[in-house]
Amino acid sequence: MTTTLLEKEKQITHFSFTGKGSEYFAIEIVNIVLTVLTLGLYYPWAKAKSLQYLYRKTELAGTPFIFHGTGKEMFVGFIKGVVILASLYAFMLYAVFTENIGMMLLAYAVFLLGLLALVPLALHGMMRYRMSRTSWRGIHMGYRGKLSDMYSTYLIGFFLTILTLGIYGSWFVVNLRKQMIDNVRFGNVRLRYTGDGADLLLIHFKGFFFSIFTVGIYFFWYTKNLLHFYVNNIVVLQEDGTYSRLQCQVSGWEVLKLTVGNILIVVFTLGLGVPFTTTRTMSLIMNNTVMSGQFDADALVQTEEAYNSATYESMTDMMDIGVI
Amino acid sequence: MTFEGKYYNGQSSKGMPAHITLLPDGLRIDYSADEVLGSVYWELGGLHRSEFNDATTLLRYGKFPQQSISVVDKGFKEALQQQYHGAAFLKSGYNSVLGLGCAGIAVLALSLLGLLVAFVVWGVPALADRVAMYFPQSYERQLGEQLYTKMLQGYQVNDEKTAALNAYLSELDTDLDYPITAAVVTSDEVNAFAIPGGYVVVYEGILDKMEQHEELAALMGHELAHIQNRHSLRAMTRSLSYYMLASLLFGDISGVAAVLVDNASALRNLEYSRSLELEADREGLELLRRNELNEQGAILLMERLQSGSELEMMAFMSTHPNTGDRIKVLNELIGGGEQPSKKNPELERHWEQLKED
Repeated sequence: MTTTLLEKEKQITHFSFTGKGSEYFAIEIVNIVLTVLTLGLYYPWAKAKSLQYLYRKTELAGTPFIFHGTGKEMFVGFIKGVVILASLYAFMLYAVFTENIGMMLLAYAVFLLGLLALVPLALHGMMRYRMSRTSWRGIHMGYRGKLSDMYSTYLIGFFLTILTLGIYGSWFVVNLRKQMIDNVRFGNVRLRYTGDGADLLLIHFKGFFFSIFTVGIYFFWYTKNLLHFYVNNIVVLQEDGTYSRLQCQVSGWEVLKLTVGNILIVVFTLGLGVPFTTTRTMSLIMNNTVMSGQFDADALVQTEEAYNSATYESMTDMMDIGVI
Repeated sequence: MTFEGKYYNGQSSKGMPAHITLLPDGLRIDYSADEVLGSVYWELGGLHRSEFNDATTLLRYGKFPQQSISVVDKGFKEALQQQYHGAAFLKSGYNSVLGLGCAGIAVLALSLLGLLVAFVVWGVPALADRVAMYFPQSYERQLGEQLYTKMLQGYQVNDEKTAALNAYLSELDTDLDYPITAAVVTSDEVNAFAIPGGYVVVYEGILDKMEQHEELAALMGHELAHIQNRHSLRAMTRSLSYYMLASLLFGDISGVAAVLVDNASALRNLEYSRSLELEADREGLELLRRNELNEQGAILLMERLQSGSELEMMAFMSTHPNTGDRIKVLNELIGGGEQPSKKNPELERHWEQLKED
């Protein structure tokens, strides 16, 4: 895919998703069978396989992304995650069975503090792992954030959110995204997140009240606004000072069609159709997202070093933290 | 054979036009970048597995940073298969499944669905029963005691009737592995239930309905059978395993803890399966037989419960389905021949006390 540099002003680079529901469905069927047969041990390999498929079918400027992660690598993180979470739950269950109020409170405190301490670690680990294992045209992404920064961002945000009865939550989310996205490198290109907490708060306020007034119909437009807020505030900076912006053009109406369709698929296939909802969602978002500005697809240069870090990938997964 | 494609060297994202030649033990890539010509040779062993290709075939080679080529040519894919059939980088179980086509995938999915249903219908209850049966008795008793105390907190216990009921029960030959503790609570509800470990709660409402003590014996026989055969524990492990299965599927582990915390209320609304109810009926009848009491008591109890007004019956009947069927089964079990039955003055004395207001 060659890019014409004649029109210096604005240039559109497209994202696209070429995956098919039936293909992804077949992959997931194999994954489920193997995971069940191995009593869950295959899970990391299954995860790697579906990520490899989804990446392979996600294209930027006509070239697909590649996910380099392997089941073996993720297995380590998976085991760590399982052991840590299982011991937290075991303690909790033990306390419940003792029926001792003090013990239960203690277990609950340990549980919450444990989760609180784990989330930043998991987020950091996931960013490092995911980014290092992602490449496009042979150029790897990378994450340069420090764990200590992640901890301070997370803990400060968490407590301020509690102190302000949730109001600060919007700034918390934005700061967390900044911490994660601003530290991403894509070869010699950097990312910036330019969202503002006040804007997010406004979106939430509007979303909340309009959803009530419209008996929930506005919810889809609320979701669209959130999507736009998360995607359209990502700026791609090149070394020469030029930049481009991500632009998501999904409309509220499309979100509505997507959501209703997905729900119907899940219900009528008894959940087996979930892979179709994934490809539908990916198609809608990717095929309606472009990079607009002066992105030069040929100018990326490898800046990452060979990777061999330990992983926490599966931990985020188990803790149900949806990121990007 | 030579194909046209793009070559990426792993240092820059610039795709260099390239000619790819398939050689017996590897690929030769001749590329041109800004008038400069270059050539690399890829040994087959260094190629990474290439899956999920579509119109474009993507091949990656070597250690970090990997080189790669992309070729938009269906012929390239076929040529690779022909030339390097069986090579490691082309092997993929997933690709073979994708090659099955829609019909094959559908068959696979349906058989998976079948397996899943079979597992849920037969596998889970069998496993859960296993677990319930291996549950240590002392622990079951401890759990039961906690549930019992917790449950009684919501009711007023009628001490006199409780004493009479316990005396009645100790007079019965129950053949139970558990010591029995029973309580009569003040409530118009027509209900009674068993708690694991040997605890029984009887509502005054159901006692008021009864006219003969054999009905009480039948009711007790039924409830004690639930205890002896660990029915509630079995039902609990079943619902818990379904819950765990669901939370595994939907990735919500915290729900399991919630179920455990909530088990006291769950127990009250627990539905035993039809087969467990019939088992309890059968063994309840057994108890009447062992004590040489009139077996018609079991039928009377059923009819009494059935004949009450709809609303009254709700509580007991909603957890005990198919009363008509149960009466039929009981009648078959009793059979035509009259069993020997005696009057039991001791039991009747306690019964009188129970019926006193």
